[in-house]
Amino acid sequence: MRHVLAIAGRELRSMFVTPDAYVLSGAYMLVAGFFFFVYLGVYLQELQQIQALGMLQMLEQFTLQDFVIQNAFSTFVLILCLVVPLLAMRAIAAERATGSIELLLTSPVTSGEIVVGKFLAIAALLAGLGLLTGLFALLLFLYGDPELWQTLAGLQTLFLYSIALASITCFISALTRSQIVAGLVGVLAGILLMVLPAAAESAQNAQLKEVLRWLGSTTHVEPGLKGDIRSEDLSYFAIVTVVFLSLARAAVDSLRWR
Amino acid sequence: MIKTQGLTKRYGGLTAIQNVSFEVAKGEVVGFLGPNAAGKTTTMRILTGYLPASAGSASVGGFDLAADPRGAKRVTGYLPEMPPLYPEMRVHEYLSFVAALHDVPRGERRDKVARAIASCGLEMVGERVLRTLSKGYRQRVGLAQAIVHDPAVLVLDEPTSGLDPIQIAEIRELIRRLAAEEGRTVILSTHILAEVEAICQRVLLIAFGRLRLDARLDDLRQQGSLEEVFVREVELAAASRPDAPAHDVAAASVEVST
Repeated sequence: MRHVLAIAGRELRSMFVTPDAYVLSGAYMLVAGFFFFVYLGVYLQELQQIQALGMLQMLEQFTLQDFVIQNAFSTFVLILCLVVPLLAMRAIAAERATGSIELLLTSPVTSGEIVVGKFLAIAALLAGLGLLTGLFALLLFLYGDPELWQTLAGLQTLFLYSIALASITCFISALTRSQIVAGLVGVLAGILLMVLPAAAESAQNAQLKEVLRWLGSTTHVEPGLKGDIRSEDLSYFAIVTVVFLSLARAAVDSLRWR
Repeated sequence: MIKTQGLTKRYGGLTAIQNVSFEVAKGEVVGFLGPNAAGKTTTMRILTGYLPASAGSASVGGFDLAADPRGAKRVTGYLPEMPPLYPEMRVHEYLSFVAALHDVPRGERRDKVARAIASCGLEMVGERVLRTLSKGYRQRVGLAQAIVHDPAVLVLDEPTSGLDPIQIAEIRELIRRLAAEEGRTVILSTHILAEVEAICQRVLLIAFGRLRLDARLDDLRQQGSLEEVFVREVELAAASRPDAPAHDVAAASVEVST
């Protein structure tokens, strides 16, 4: 555990003295903020129209929660799919490119400790990003009355999705020396997982359809964003994270054999 | 302190070292001499647990590298050919991180780092970021990270390569001091004969992956000029290699000057 914390701490400190993390977090906030305020603007406009037309029963269904928070969070998933792999791509690839991996592999540290240390640092950064995302929702709580639990469930889902994608990228990062390759393949993997459920619809075989649907991230993200925390979705994120961290550990182990 | 028995390493079809056996006693300073691509780095990487041997065994400080690599790594300090630095870290931060990786308890880290900084003449640059250091200072930091956890054994891979003559003299002096200081066992590789003469008591000559010579420098001097002995051995090694192309003989000659 001491090794894990030492590696995670070093990684985090590095993130904050190099511009990468700031630039990426800043880009995320900028794009996320843009969409958030677009949804909010559209909502307010529609609200005025509904009120002008006096369709009061529609007002009940047209809530801040459904229209602004849910739509914004769905968009945030897309942005995270691009940002998270770029944040996580350095993990092992950078160590291999600079040769500092030789220090880690000749220290009395296990491959598992290396991977978990790297992953914890990224997870901490993503938790910070989650808190910043929460600020958008907080604005709505100041001026409106969204559903607290649904919003928290949405934030939790965004976080779990991010760390699952980060663990996938960690694994890819252990397979290559090139950070860019790791990042881009990570983004592709994220997109692939996102479209799998859509692809499942055209599958002929019923079992294959089920499997593809389960593998797809969208299947497990959408209920959470609606405020529905299901154990099957939680286990999906846990399984993806653990499986890919184990694969990353095996990949680091295999570096010793090349 | 160091013992190898029939050490062999194959990369695919290529045999990097074959049947290398030697022993180094406590407190000895041994030069690992050989032309480029002779197998020096491969042997050192096996001794430091970075690479597994294909056949044969190696132990450091009584710990077998195959059975208890972490034990062996704990008593070894290693300076790879490229010092494994994190360019964005400060010198003392970096050394503290390496100490943590090597299980130096938190309470002792500050002292050990201060001692390593003093031993390697880094007092003036302790607060500097590694990226901004000159090559000579980076090499010193590389040495400092190798000794920060007070290892009984030091493995140094071409510690003076790429330095200017003044830096080379400084680093040699430093190595001599670090070896004498704690009665450390040191094994250092080089392709420069003068380096062995300047620092070591004993020499291991490796050429084409085989150990050609294992002798004390004092004994060798009585056989005539060291230069002649080494050139003769390397040429014999080249000639005895059935598949040796003619130009290899010239390429394999040991560099005699500084």
